[in-house]
Amino acid sequence: MPLQQRLRGRPAHAPGPTFLSYTPNGRKLITVGLNNAIRVFETGSDAEPTNIDDCQESNTAVVATNDFFLAGSEDGTVCKYSLHTNSLDGILVRCTLPVRDIALSPDGLWAAVASDELTVKVVNTDDMERVLHLKEQTKPVKHVSFDVGGTYLAVSCTDGIIYIYSLTTEEPLLVRKVDGLIKGLETDAEPSSRVIWHPDGRAIAAPTPTRDIQVVSTNDWERQRAFRNGHTADVTAAAWSPNGALLASASADRKLVLWDTKTQAVLKTHDDVRATILAMAWHPTENILSYTNNDGELFIHTDFVPADVSSLLEKTLVAAPFIHDPFAEAPGNAVRGRQELTNGVHGKEARRQQGATRRARTPDSLDEILGLDDEEGSDLDGFIEDDEGGAGAAGHKRSAAAAYLDEDGYANGHAYKRRAPAGPAWQPRMHPAFQPGSTPWRGNRRYLCVNLVGAVWTVDQDSHHSVTVEFYDRSFHRDFHFTDPFLYDKACLTEHGCLFACPPSMIGGGSGDGGASSRPAMLYYRPHETWTARADWRTELPPGESAVAIALSDSYVVVVTSANYVRVYTLFGFPVRVYRQKSAPAVTCAAWRDYVLTVGNGPVGADGRSTLTYSIEDVARDEVCQNEDVVALGPGGNLQSVFFSDEGDPYIYDTTGTLSTLLHWRTPSQARWVPLLSTAHLARLASGRKSESYWPVAVAQRRFHCIILKGGDANPSFPRPLLSEFDFALPLQPPPRPAGGAATKRKAGGVADDDDDGDAMDADGGDANGQPDEAAAAHALTQTYLLHALQHAQLLDLLTGASGAASSSAAARAGLARASAEADKALLQLLAGECRGGEERGARALELVRLMRDDSGRMVEAAAKVAGRYGLEVLRGKIEEVAERRALEGVVGGDEDE
Amino acid sequence: MALPLPRGLTPAEVAFTCEMELVTIVPRQRLEALELLGGTTPALVPPRRANVALWLALLLKRQRRANIVPPPWLLPASLSAVLEMETNPAVEGFAPTPAAPRSGGAAASPPFLPSCTADAPRNALPYHWLEVGEMLLEAAADDFDDPDAVRMLLKDLHEARGAKVRAGTQLLDAGGVFKLNGVGGMEVAESRGFVVGVIDGLRKIGASREQARREQEEEEGGIGGDEGDDDMDL
Repeated sequence: MPLQQRLRGRPAHAPGPTFLSYTPNGRKLITVGLNNAIRVFETGSDAEPTNIDDCQESNTAVVATNDFFLAGSEDGTVCKYSLHTNSLDGILVRCTLPVRDIALSPDGLWAAVASDELTVKVVNTDDMERVLHLKEQTKPVKHVSFDVGGTYLAVSCTDGIIYIYSLTTEEPLLVRKVDGLIKGLETDAEPSSRVIWHPDGRAIAAPTPTRDIQVVSTNDWERQRAFRNGHTADVTAAAWSPNGALLASASADRKLVLWDTKTQAVLKTHDDVRATILAMAWHPTENILSYTNNDGELFIHTDFVPADVSSLLEKTLVAAPFIHDPFAEAPGNAVRGRQELTNGVHGKEARRQQGATRRARTPDSLDEILGLDDEEGSDLDGFIEDDEGGAGAAGHKRSAAAAYLDEDGYANGHAYKRRAPAGPAWQPRMHPAFQPGSTPWRGNRRYLCVNLVGAVWTVDQDSHHSVTVEFYDRSFHRDFHFTDPFLYDKACLTEHGCLFACPPSMIGGGSGDGGASSRPAMLYYRPHETWTARADWRTELPPGESAVAIALSDSYVVVVTSANYVRVYTLFGFPVRVYRQKSAPAVTCAAWRDYVLTVGNGPVGADGRSTLTYSIEDVARDEVCQNEDVVALGPGGNLQSVFFSDEGDPYIYDTTGTLSTLLHWRTPSQARWVPLLSTAHLARLASGRKSESYWPVAVAQRRFHCIILKGGDANPSFPRPLLSEFDFALPLQPPPRPAGGAATKRKAGGVADDDDDGDAMDADGGDANGQPDEAAAAHALTQTYLLHALQHAQLLDLLTGASGAASSSAAARAGLARASAEADKALLQLLAGECRGGEERGARALELVRLMRDDSGRMVEAAAKVAGRYGLEVLRGKIEEVAERRALEGVVGGDEDE
Repeated sequence: MALPLPRGLTPAEVAFTCEMELVTIVPRQRLEALELLGGTTPALVPPRRANVALWLALLLKRQRRANIVPPPWLLPASLSAVLEMETNPAVEGFAPTPAAPRSGGAAASPPFLPSCTADAPRNALPYHWLEVGEMLLEAAADDFDDPDAVRMLLKDLHEARGAKVRAGTQLLDAGGVFKLNGVGGMEVAESRGFVVGVIDGLRKIGASREQARREQEEEEGGIGGDEGDDDMDL
């Protein structure tokens, strides 16, 4: 081949380790080596290179910008040379030990210098006085590399750990230690442990001890795909092509391999490499790979990518090889969009990523800079993802609270992009579908269902998945696990069984039937125990239809499908109902006993987003309880989860962190949403020092069960974290924290308390200052009253609603009486507080008495006694009047339903 | 003496008494409510948290039927905050104990206060901090995020406070009073021998001086009594 013939080694330096760097514009190529000369080659010219002779001997690293380059030497100096005059500019930084690697931030402003010293110095190339020291690593560093945005620095240490630093802050911050990825190598070893950032900025890759090149996502630091079986010796150099579509790597067995990023397949292997390649660089724009070896030679390999695949090189940015790319995934996962890396700093990067997966776009092209995005309107997914406001990306330090402020993220990351001037017709923003209790892929694992019974999670094994079902109550059911060729992507777990759904597959079902025909979507129900031999069943959906969300109750299986059907089956797979969902596309569904709740995208609201509407149907009685009523969310909030509590009331949790329940939902058009807890106002967050979010799991025994996520995570990690519980607290007033007076008083009192978080309040009771104490107590009592009144209303609904009354009426009746008594008790205590306040608060006290439900008739009596004890005879008289009137009416507290 | 035991409770006995403390567990198996002499235990339904007595929690933990949720004050962050306070020379006395609840009453003393449950205050060491900490670390180390750090901090804290207690005995010499507010049960038990010894010693020294003073008084016939007192004080 003529191309091959042109490849010849250029003896650039004395035999020995040689390194190279392209200038970002690709015009020049600089090589350094053992002898005291630096050579600058012009791309495309075969003329003799320019020599720079006034330099140190045995240079070990070189990096270049368009105007200057830096070379590091074994004598510990890093020198700066001008490319205009081809002469030494001066010494940038001096180390006491040999320099091993230099990395330059993309803007050329900062140079990270790794030497045999323990710290990595990051020097400003303009002002060498400005030096940052990275000190977290305990051993010398072999390689350093900047990410595409220049905000993160990956440091490959000789202890086999990669340290990721963030350089956005004044003081460099260790963001993450990645252990077990690279091998611990000596600083002067030939094999490489260099981290190479994929050009799309979402992933890093590094050679592993098993001679693979492993890709790791940077948002959750999970391992993604790997480039396997290409090398039989340690990898010595690797480089992504400028668009990320190709990877070139070389190993100590003198092989040079070209990989396809998308498939991780070997495109071409060169066995004819003369000596071990130590450094390689792609030409920024042309099809050229240059590399230097340990024998002082430089190879400029033009037309390196074979002609049949060279189209890959012409593509614009290609996405990093994720096992499950959060951008490429079909909708259906809970709050998946929040994986995205979007905020002010990374806006450009994020835009690039979007471009990467969705359409061709050249990096830094004009339309990217201007933010013109002609596909934006039609791109529904993107819309919704952006809307979620880009929390995610571990390391990208956004507080979880900020993550929820989705309008905020929307504004700072994308606002100008949204204003696409010549965009197509405006389209409403729809709510994505989700399966309650599931998470998106995290590496090769994801939760399909997490609730109070247990958890179902699946592991992607390339050709199949393996599904594990775990129970909290180990004595109740045994955990089980099975190999899943159908790639189930949704699951529901109850105490009686487990329901799975898989999407239709195009190429005929994994390893199962080999037919080329497509296999329709399928449901699989597996009861935990049964008295017949085999009671699990599978049923297929009509072709072209797939499950959007599934739900499982004690008596029914519910599937909402992409064809806008709601399909209800019995637990034995018999279809009992099929009907069209009135609002579509469907979002999610939930079920409890005979009740089925479906949520869909309804009409477009005033904010340009579609309003979510829900319907509740009683399947057994064939009645509609609520018909296309609105799911009321906070401003800018998205629905995050929908579930029934153990008492059978529907609850929703939205992205503003509010848990709401539906009251009076058994009576048509009486339903309303009542907020029960606002996690954004929890006392534990009051200090502002904690950033955590709450991933809803369930409501049981009138407590909210959730998983606390720290550090900007959006979804629970593996292994499953412990559940936390919170009591309900109606958002009535600012969190009780402003009792700052109390806290400072305590401090002044000599108890130099750490005063951490909400616990100050627990401790508040101890001190003598009565005023805030009393207010706090009154607040607590008001909460108690409202919560019990609410519980009373819920139980009353349950009892008056005809179905379901049969099974639990005794318990519910007892609960009803208790709730009523508790509510009255709280009122009585409040009354005592009012009475203490004296005569002038008598009217308020009397109002409290009127609120009393007083089933037994003794509460009002007691109230009169309380008033008497405080010597408020007028009030006492009035209370007795109330009691008499009630006794006359014979009705107790009928119309005071709160 | 028939039983050659020191006065007061032995450490083993203190540890025994602290087993009445309530701790929070996450059960992994269902267990109905048990009617026991000491009260009824809550019904355990996984994965709902429940507060049970420490002895029951340890029993269930050993049988792998439950996970124990370490109390908030036993987390490394809060322990190091307390340690910082203890080692800060500007702070007198010991770290504060959790405040009594508002609706106090007779039941507001350690075993009946939920001072070791998951919702206990994080910035105050309860009366049984050392015993509970040691027991949880011994039996349920896997339920801690970083048991080694906790172990180390507990040890540091124990030593720092022990040194304070011992240093406090210097005050006793001058007839002063040493405030032991905030000192835990186990700490009292283990420093009892030392402190009692010191006080005994002081009394003996004082006794001989007293003796001398009395003799002097007898000689001077009560006139120089005041002077004698002054001498004593010096």
